Amino acid sequence: MIIKWSRRKIYLIIGMIVCGLLAMLFVTHNQRLYRQPIAQVVRVSNEKKQRTEDEFKNVDHQTTQKITAVLMNGKNRGDQVKVQNTFSDSQPLDQEYKVGNQLFLSQLRRDHGKLTANPAGPKRDSVVVFLGWLVVTVLLLTMGKAGTFALVSVVINTILFLLAVSLDLHNQGSHVLLIFSGLALIFTVVSLFLVLGPTKKMLATLGATIAGTTIAILVGVLVLHLTHNRGVYYESMQYVTQVPRPLFIAEILLGSLGAVMDESSDIVATLFELKQIDPNVSRTQLFMSGRSVGKSIMGPLVNVLFLIFMADTFTNSLLYLKNGNSWGYTFSMNMSLGMVQSLISGIGIVLAVPVVSVLGAILLGRRR
Amino acid sequence: MSTIYALGLVLLFLMVLVGGKQGWRSFLSILLNFGFLFFAIVLIEFHVPPMFVTAVTGITILAVTIFMGEDDLRITVTAFYASLIVLLILIILIFFVSHWAMVQGFGNEDSDDLEGMSILIGISYLKVSVTAIVISTLGAIAEASIAISAGLTEILEVHPKINNSRLIDGGMAIGRQIIGTTLNTLFFGFFGGFLSLFIWFAGLHYSIGTIFNNKIFVAELIEILISFLGVLLTVPITSLVMVKRRDQVIDKSAETK
Repeated sequence: MIIKWSRRKIYLIIGMIVCGLLAMLFVTHNQRLYRQPIAQVVRVSNEKKQRTEDEFKNVDHQTTQKITAVLMNGKNRGDQVKVQNTFSDSQPLDQEYKVGNQLFLSQLRRDHGKLTANPAGPKRDSVVVFLGWLVVTVLLLTMGKAGTFALVSVVINTILFLLAVSLDLHNQGSHVLLIFSGLALIFTVVSLFLVLGPTKKMLATLGATIAGTTIAILVGVLVLHLTHNRGVYYESMQYVTQVPRPLFIAEILLGSLGAVMDESSDIVATLFELKQIDPNVSRTQLFMSGRSVGKSIMGPLVNVLFLIFMADTFTNSLLYLKNGNSWGYTFSMNMSLGMVQSLISGIGIVLAVPVVSVLGAILLGRRR
Repeated sequence: MSTIYALGLVLLFLMVLVGGKQGWRSFLSILLNFGFLFFAIVLIEFHVPPMFVTAVTGITILAVTIFMGEDDLRITVTAFYASLIVLLILIILIFFVSHWAMVQGFGNEDSDDLEGMSILIGISYLKVSVTAIVISTLGAIAEASIAISAGLTEILEVHPKINNSRLIDGGMAIGRQIIGTTLNTLFFGFFGGFLSLFIWFAGLHYSIGTIFNNKIFVAELIEILISFLGVLLTVPITSLVMVKRRDQVIDKSAETK
């Protein structure tokens, strides 16, 4: 295989490496921008491990470590600070620090002339920057222009998302569904516009996405209503600061949107190609080929969302099982919401197949 | 009837109605994947090493998703090999990144849920978090590798004599067609789950600095970025695997004709 390195690509690689180095330089030297004290560990001495055992026979070990660190910001910058930290083997909320780690401190105080503080978590921003840089570089190198558009779409959508969140907070969460349905609509238009451009294809995909998602949400809400939400534990929803039910529906709506768009645009693309090959193709033929494309994509797509939603419940479920709960209770308290979300999204993905096929057939097909 | 059963039945009905036999198989693959996921948690509960569970569950879920999603062996075998290579690269990357980021276990925002729980369970949460991140990316890898492999098989069917670098170019072109919508699928999939966390952050006026060092946020962001990377790697790797396997693929095409 011969790789053709065009001049543009070489410039791009050099540019990305320079950007990456600059970004890493910034993020490893940005401590002074933080108000919270940050220190770098220079010496650690660990005490003896203490064995712990709980009522469920889970055995763990706790270690206390005495850390000497050098402050990297604030008015005591450069001074040594003593930090006492306790960590366990499993490290659920605690954290083992090693020489060279940078960590946030809380309650920085002077005791008999010596600075002491409590640990408040490691500095993690450099990982985020590194990984983000890696993704952008690979995206631009392998995908070129399409990659740039995908990136722009992700950035715009993130900004819109943040705007919608602040709008929601401004209304104290009273119009969650309205705000996020509106957001979903704008998301769809922006994303499809960036991926497909202002074409007839884009309109057809847009219509199908909106119709598919709307019907799925309606069916989902109807089933939730008919079964009186039995087995759905809204109280197990994480990080909730507003009324959970509408928030949950909004999460389903946003979560399934991308997948329905993905599928609709695949089907529409195939139908347009068929039309190009044979301008006299009939509506029935178009519908049948739309369906056959759709039915082979829908399974993998439902699995994509299913695995994303369920993987999030992994750690909590393990904790529940380790605390002597039954499989059923663990499922109900951790996985039931993810399951409902996957199922309603799945219904949307499946329903979009006939909807987009019919729409495409009407738009493109000849009446016989 | 509980809501989950009812929704499951609706999904099953619609899948069979739209997809016939293939729809039934798709439904079955979701059910099986759920089974394997739950089984993975139970295995880790019994102190089976999480890395071993990650590898076995990863391979199994990829196999189920790919081989039950598509009939054509020319497409599926290539897709399966390619996704295994991507899985291996990702596991190494995730291992490295999560040791660096230290986003295992729970954040301060979880403390409500943890009340009354004994959290010192004697299993490394760091390893468990590697397992969870790997599982969340599997679906995306499988889907992308099937799409690329299907497109390349079609190219080989029409032009069996196409040279290798043209074939790879073809794979990359298919990749460019699917990348926009695939990244959207992942972006929205993850952001759907992000919503309540973001409202929390914004409501309590977390600063940008706090958010980018927050355990839960960084963990979620790593999941998103790793799945993006997984999909991006899948495109060239599937093309390369197809180049290696092109003779078998062409042979099979000749047989089926």
